[in-house]
Amino acid sequence: MAGVRLENVYKKYAGTDKASVTDFNLDIQDKEFLVLVGPSGCGKSTTLRMIAGLEEISEGKLYIGDRVVNDVAPKDRDIAMVFQSYALYPHMNVYQNMAFGLKLRKFRKDEIDRRVREAARTLEIEHLLDRKPKALSGGQRQRVALGRAIVREPQVFLMDEPLSNLDAKLRTQMRANISKLMKRLETTCIYVTHDQTEAMTMGDRIVVMKDGFIQQAATPDVLYNHPVNLFVAGFIGAPAMNFITGQLVEEGGAVRFRATGFNVEVPEGKAKALRAKGYIGREIILGIRPEDFHEEPVFIEASPNSIVNATIEVSENLGHEMFLYLNGLGKDNVIARVDGRSGLRENQNVKLAIDMNKIHVFDKDSELNIFEA
Amino acid sequence: MNKTKLQLLGQLLNASVVAKVLTGVEWEKEGGNKHPEVGDAIQLKSACLMVTRVNGAELHCIEVAATLTQVEKQLLGWAVQQGGTRPNSSSGASDLERQARRLGEWIQQSVTAGEWRAEVPDRMELRNRLFDGMVPFLLLCEQLEDKEPSYVELEKTIRSFISDETLLIPLREHEWLILSSDRVLMEADSEDDEVLGHEETKELLATLAEGLHQLITGEWGGECHIAVGEPIIPSESVIRIVGTLRETIFLGRKFHVGMQIHLPWLVHLERLLSGIPEMVRSRFVEEMMGRPDLFTDSETVSTLDAFFSMDCNVSETAKKLFIHRNTLLYRLDKIKHEAGLDVRSFNDAVLVRILLLLYKVTKRK
Repeated sequence: MAGVRLENVYKKYAGTDKASVTDFNLDIQDKEFLVLVGPSGCGKSTTLRMIAGLEEISEGKLYIGDRVVNDVAPKDRDIAMVFQSYALYPHMNVYQNMAFGLKLRKFRKDEIDRRVREAARTLEIEHLLDRKPKALSGGQRQRVALGRAIVREPQVFLMDEPLSNLDAKLRTQMRANISKLMKRLETTCIYVTHDQTEAMTMGDRIVVMKDGFIQQAATPDVLYNHPVNLFVAGFIGAPAMNFITGQLVEEGGAVRFRATGFNVEVPEGKAKALRAKGYIGREIILGIRPEDFHEEPVFIEASPNSIVNATIEVSENLGHEMFLYLNGLGKDNVIARVDGRSGLRENQNVKLAIDMNKIHVFDKDSELNIFEA
Repeated sequence: MNKTKLQLLGQLLNASVVAKVLTGVEWEKEGGNKHPEVGDAIQLKSACLMVTRVNGAELHCIEVAATLTQVEKQLLGWAVQQGGTRPNSSSGASDLERQARRLGEWIQQSVTAGEWRAEVPDRMELRNRLFDGMVPFLLLCEQLEDKEPSYVELEKTIRSFISDETLLIPLREHEWLILSSDRVLMEADSEDDEVLGHEETKELLATLAEGLHQLITGEWGGECHIAVGEPIIPSESVIRIVGTLRETIFLGRKFHVGMQIHLPWLVHLERLLSGIPEMVRSRFVEEMMGRPDLFTDSETVSTLDAFFSMDCNVSETAKKLFIHRNTLLYRLDKIKHEAGLDVRSFNDAVLVRILLLLYKVTKRK
């Protein structure tokens, strides 16, 4: 088993001025499950392909364990890959598909058999070993693709959107299966996805990327609660964090945030930091997660300085929770997540209290989180 | 010869050295002999041209921007013969490799001469293996020179992947023809007694090509393009299929940058468009584009690409792009509003598809 280290890694394609990946520095620990996430074109797959050896590294160093592997061919890097388009070999049965990589590396027959059967048992596909890929369902094919990687017993697993071709139900199931499997195998895994739910639920650590740059690398908890900038704050969380542009003012010894529909007091701890950094009297962007709006009377009663009034334009009841699309707060719709049994309806006026201890404040120009800077 | 070697040679000779590919006719025009061999040289006015490799009708040469003495030329010629380049034939090669290279050279010459109906001549030792139905793959491997697999490595890997009856035939530099028994298609079919339908065959061929691509890039990395054709009897139609597959890769790379698996049955429109004179194409693009910056927006291009690849199915396209159906409808409406073309109507969809293909080609110029 081994860790992976990227030092000042760049990827530039011929004929383009802009690098697809810029100054990428990351130390991935042995046995860590690291997720690369970001919108399409952010460089996450390119980074993974560089680690795999499928793309040349334009600049910088890549270590697997203690070895620099920039010039090592993919087959000699001791990695195993699982792609979105898991091209199972159509003319081979499941057993042969899983055994092929080992056969190519001249493993003994009994060793191949042991590994294939063990991986098949782990993935619960023992009964499929004689079948051809054509006779398998999507989920079964994906498990075979995983099996093909597992039998290699590599130092590092690389997975590029491996669940994207599956339907939602199967994806949730496979997500849990992969997480369990990786914990059992105790192998380093680098996983690329565009899906933040996948990232949050699977990763020990998540790297959020945008335009080829790392925006933040942290645990799911830190990313959610302490995003370093507007992009990370908006990217992690569904529905996304609400952003409201407004002004901070000092009034009666307290700092208040004012914008259309808002005149709320900032808690003293946060106010102190804002004063110290000279944000009083300036425009800022306030970030509020949908679940930090509260409709419960007890909460409203306890938070007289953070009340807002709005009209419900649309309500989406998912049973256990309800999303309210609110008018009258800031320039755009604000989304609140409340209890599904709250009984709130469209076109109704609603009074909500904001949990001001959980707000985020972003600099309007740099878009950095003022509390995290 | 790679750049590093050229640079080193340049430093040794204190002159600039560049690689060139000439045809036999061009070589003769420069004053060279009729059947040039590796190490042959011509002294031009201010440069010396030397053959480093003969690949069918192509002569790979180096041009040294200096007047070389007779001794220098002899020494350089000797060095080139001793392995200044990758071995292209014979020395140390197995019988099979030598036979395959001979066949490859004949194929290359016939393709260059445009002899599309040429049948494999009796003098080719491998001829007797080319009378059964075979699946042709054309492989273009563009690994860095030091990472490129040797014939032996590649042949062994491909044989274990497809079957022992597979033939690997080197054509040009980095280019290989793979002929594998068409029994591989029957093996892929889980219901053995059924005859494979046409569409099913194509689907299997595409999956095989994808598997082969994954295998080769997974072993050696680098860029690798693969085209696959429907089964042929190689003794009769190997020249024609090489021409078709080469054209398929050319069109695929020209119109679909980023794609590495190319299928001849998916590039009909591209073939047609490629044949239209440049001036006519440019005029068409100019006349049709309501807004010249429409396709500079990468989101619009990826949306349209996905929409056409999903046969204009809104739900499937939204799923493929991981966006909500309404977001996709909004994007399509925006295109309609800005370009005046509604891709949900058949006629406009045809026009936009053509425009998009042409735009991708003209943009890169």
